[in-house]
Amino acid sequence: MWIGISLGALLLVAFVALSVMAGGPKDALYMVRYALPYMHRGKLKIGDTAPDAKVFAVAGNETFHIRERTGAKPLVIVFGSFT
Amino acid sequence: MQIFNDYKDRADFLTVYVREAHPTDEWQMKSNVKDDVCYAQPRNLSDRLAIANDFIKRFKYPLPFGVDDMNNAANDAYAAWPERLYVIDENGKIAYRGGMGPFNYNPAEVRAWLAARYGEVKHPEAKPTEPNKKETKPGQDKS
Repeated sequence: MWIGISLGALLLVAFVALSVMAGGPKDALYMVRYALPYMHRGKLKIGDTAPDAKVFAVAGNETFHIRERTGAKPLVIVFGSFT
Repeated sequence: MQIFNDYKDRADFLTVYVREAHPTDEWQMKSNVKDDVCYAQPRNLSDRLAIANDFIKRFKYPLPFGVDDMNNAANDAYAAWPERLYVIDENGKIAYRGGMGPFNYNPAEVRAWLAARYGEVKHPEAKPTEPNKKETKPGQDKS
């Protein structure tokens, strides 16, 4: 029984901590549901060859590859979204 | 984006728009409602391009821009979501890899990398840069 109580207490503490971090209980649930599946640390490290990927120009009718933009100068890449 | 203005002659810049972090149909933030940044998660490329164009227009965003494919290839390759910064050197190697945003998204580290390579760009009217001070980026803090 004590094991169950301890586990329950741990889960409660974890949920409260996550709620504080996310901004509220609902945000904590949404964070687990929608954010955690996409949060990846990845395996890239300094010195690795930069991976390539096709992206679209904002007009949508042309594509280019990220690596096409490398070579002449250092390339600063900013990944993000609107929201 | 001050870093872009300071170093655009010495480095290339590219913004890559990836899947939304806080769309209306997922984990929407109150701050986005307040700022009228309310979009559902795009289900097709046309929707994704439309949001990217809205962002560019709203903030007169000056950086070169690319939009990730709907298979999220760039996002997956760079572990980019929700936001992350990189510097790729002239040999195509990763020279700087920022932490996962928003908590570890730190443009000051990119500025420090560029300053170490090309020298610091000083702004007489600016206060000293704080270690974790954020600059304009997609997603947050666009003022």
